[in-house]
Amino acid sequence: MSSADWKNFEPVLIPNTKDLHKIDVYQKNGGYGALKEVLTDKKKWEGPKDVVNEVKAANIRGRGGAGFNAGLKWSFMPPADGKPRYLACNGDESEPGTFKDRKIFEYNPHVFIEGALIAAYAMEITSIYVYIRGEYIDYIDMMQKAIDDAYEKGFIGKNIFGTDYSVEFYVHSGAGAYICGEETSMLESLEGKRGYPRVKPPFPAQKGLWGRPTTINNIETLAHVVSVINKGASWFSGIGAENHPGPVLYGISGHVNRPGVYELPSGVPVLDLIHDVAGGMRNGKELKAVIPGGSSTPVLRADQLDGVSMDSDSLREVGTMMGTAGMVIMDEDTNMVDVLWRIAHFYHHESCGQCTPCRDGTGWLEKILLKIKNGEGEIKDLDLLLDITTQMEGRTICALADAAAWPVRHTINRFRDEFEARCKKSVHAVA
Amino acid sequence: MPEVIIDGNQFEFDSDKDGSLLQFILDQGLEVPFFCYHPSMSVPANCRQCMVKVGTPVKDRETGEYELDDDGKRVIRWFPKMQTSCNTQLSDGMVVHTQETDKLVERAQKDTLEFILANHPLDCPICDQAGECPLQIQTYKYGPEGSRFEVKKVHKPKRVHLGPRVTLDAERCINCTRCVRFTDEISESKQLTIVQRGDKNYPVAAPGREFDDAYSMNTIDLCPVGALTSTDFRFKARVWEMNQTPSIDISNGKGTNIDLWTRDNLVLRITPRYNEDVNDYWMPDVSRNAYKMFNENRVSRPSQKLDNEQVQSSWNNAFATLAEQIEKTDNEKIVFVGSPHASVEENYLLMILSNLLAGSTPVFTPHIIDGAGDNFLLTDDQAPNTNGCLLLGLDELSKKDLSGKIKKAELVILLNDNLMGRDVLTAGDFKNAFFTMFATNNTVTSKDADLVIPITTAAEHAASYVNVDKRIQRTVPAKETKYSNRRLDIEMSEGRLDRYGTSFDNWVTEENKVDCLPMWSITNELSDILGLNITYKNSRQIMSEIAEQSPAFSGVSFQAMDEQSGIDLTATKHTVKS
Repeated sequence: MSSADWKNFEPVLIPNTKDLHKIDVYQKNGGYGALKEVLTDKKKWEGPKDVVNEVKAANIRGRGGAGFNAGLKWSFMPPADGKPRYLACNGDESEPGTFKDRKIFEYNPHVFIEGALIAAYAMEITSIYVYIRGEYIDYIDMMQKAIDDAYEKGFIGKNIFGTDYSVEFYVHSGAGAYICGEETSMLESLEGKRGYPRVKPPFPAQKGLWGRPTTINNIETLAHVVSVINKGASWFSGIGAENHPGPVLYGISGHVNRPGVYELPSGVPVLDLIHDVAGGMRNGKELKAVIPGGSSTPVLRADQLDGVSMDSDSLREVGTMMGTAGMVIMDEDTNMVDVLWRIAHFYHHESCGQCTPCRDGTGWLEKILLKIKNGEGEIKDLDLLLDITTQMEGRTICALADAAAWPVRHTINRFRDEFEARCKKSVHAVA
Repeated sequence: MPEVIIDGNQFEFDSDKDGSLLQFILDQGLEVPFFCYHPSMSVPANCRQCMVKVGTPVKDRETGEYELDDDGKRVIRWFPKMQTSCNTQLSDGMVVHTQETDKLVERAQKDTLEFILANHPLDCPICDQAGECPLQIQTYKYGPEGSRFEVKKVHKPKRVHLGPRVTLDAERCINCTRCVRFTDEISESKQLTIVQRGDKNYPVAAPGREFDDAYSMNTIDLCPVGALTSTDFRFKARVWEMNQTPSIDISNGKGTNIDLWTRDNLVLRITPRYNEDVNDYWMPDVSRNAYKMFNENRVSRPSQKLDNEQVQSSWNNAFATLAEQIEKTDNEKIVFVGSPHASVEENYLLMILSNLLAGSTPVFTPHIIDGAGDNFLLTDDQAPNTNGCLLLGLDELSKKDLSGKIKKAELVILLNDNLMGRDVLTAGDFKNAFFTMFATNNTVTSKDADLVIPITTAAEHAASYVNVDKRIQRTVPAKETKYSNRRLDIEMSEGRLDRYGTSFDNWVTEENKVDCLPMWSITNELSDILGLNITYKNSRQIMSEIAEQSPAFSGVSFQAMDEQSGIDLTATKHTVKS
């Protein structure tokens, strides 16, 4: 299915089925069939390696923001040695503008559980942790209930479907730190430590949770595994954009008539998403700007959006990224200085403080932006802001400094007039 | 040997021994600025100060040969980002550009310093760390000129009582986590952690808990800024006013290598000195607080008991009294008591005296408290030189035997050891004898003596001590006595004030010079009166004599100890045998 046919797409992660979060309903709709097939059908799936290869062929680009091929990531795990190995499922979902995994927790938790179990089997993993952000307190309970139900049915635990494969599944609650969505600080947090990102190498596949090989995947990424098994890698890779295939959960928020999470093929034109999917701009206002994939991705002006679709290649051409596909739509009344200050405030508040450039850079950015917001800034402050972003980018252990620097740099570059208008008039005459 | 090219210069490295690029650079005598890295602890790479540009040569996959460009030079694949050299592992053919040759690296280091200084209070004029502050030094060397930070700095708690000995100024903290890692990895008390997030974070102990680790003060040395300061030393002295003299800790048996910091002939603080074989970079807190014994409660001028009351006497009178007592007492009734708290040389002099006077071999009682040690730097042995006494051949006596021996004596000559204070003897034991004590500090024992002759402490003389692991190490005089002179003693260091200060300066006075003599000088004086022909010039000469006469000390000399930072006597014994 090409991206153009998005109107005819049947959702697979959040289909329109009543009570799908209940395990009986999920099973009635073919749930846990993929897991059973993978574990028991030895003709089709000779061993775990076949599953890895199938997922690799499907080219599921990680939905957590980095967009790395999930099957390829799985293949980095060293051979099993009988000692514990872990799958850590990242449901920390804290990037402003992103709320897609929440839909899975709420409407279809079992598709994620099944996907995680298949992934665990493929990598011969013994324990699965799902790390859910602390603010999702209700979904943590729901997830626990879903896992308990699956345990009861024998889909998790000892000797699943009578095979010799056993796995344990744990829910772990975050405590409100954005940084714990970074994969290695999530591992630290799971270990009960302060959420500081780890220095890489060693990568988690070599030394992850408690020093053992660990794979970290986003919730949505794992949920997609089920349809890859059910419908085949070619089905999945045939959907949507060529280099970023498969269905995507678009989280559309902001000044649109119908904000929400929509499951559609990747590569849907941005303007279609705004005007058709999300019901157009609220109150008939003009579109001003779009943040395509969570607050850290560079913002796009309305005039940059013609022909741009939501896939990594198309977005890269206009200088931004797919991120988490958490789109923030802003109308003509939006003040970009205020928006940028709010984003900078977020990263200042969430910097873990481990690396110098991020610890002191994020605060500096916010304070200058506050000055500009209050009308006390000067034109030279804009250049200082750009300078600080250069000093932060690529100089830290994790990508939070980059995530804080990009929106500042690109928003200023793309809306410079607005920022200059908010600054004090320079007292220095131009010679 | 594998090689690495740093700023165009080629260095060979040992792939088993050398790991971290930063440590290798430092080992070559080159410099890259850093804060969080410490060779004895894990590498968090969080200060981001030691950025360098790193590349590796491209190898042809099939032949394994280096690929060459048109000029015949190796093709280098540069890392896309600058790397922190502390956690970069050396590899063969690696090419490194530091701040010396690369403008981008220089800029990156400057940028990081700008960030660190953004929220730093810049209160160097009132900061204890100023003068020995890595942040201050590196800012002068690599930092930006001025600051572009024109907004409000973050405010954090100041004067935080972290524990009984450590005070925190959180605003100065640059979050290198050295202190946290120290309690996690070295002292293993795990008492500190970082709280808060981002630019608000700082280290602290758990709520309601004290940072009372037995090694807590090491975090003060580790702190690369003035965030952790010594509650005791705070605001007492500027670093540049003090003299730094290498010495040995004498408060327990480990022989921790230390530096004595003196100003105006007072020891103001003690810090550890690196010795891989003894204490690494660390020392226990109790040893740091031992500095007070060099300053306070000192015996100054001899004193003699007249009508049951000690009165000050002249040196002439003290020598004459002791000589008279020696002459009039039957040699067999003289007991020489050595001390594990005194140096090898002092105990040796006691042996010489007893030999020449045909008395019995000096005795001593070790000062051991079971359970006081901790398998790290604290030992059960409370004295610095128990092994020295044993190797010299002093008779080791139990508490009971010593008391029995002293009760029968008519003259007791005791080398600096508070035997009554540590419950070995009681005042009653000395009832029948004339009790002479060579003492450094006033103690219950010295108060009971019939004659007290003041001697120098480890801070005032050069002397050797043999630690619990039979390692002999020596001290260097750090503070003057009434009779020594910094400018004449080639071993004594001279600080700025000592060299250029005048009596109009606050810190150049006579009042802290103690009226005492080194043991060898006292022995010389006694031998003059007694006609024994002892003429020592200094401790160095005595040590050479000991090395000649005693096989246990063969090969030991001040020079050898200085060169090898102490000599393992178990090892020398082996070489002599084979």
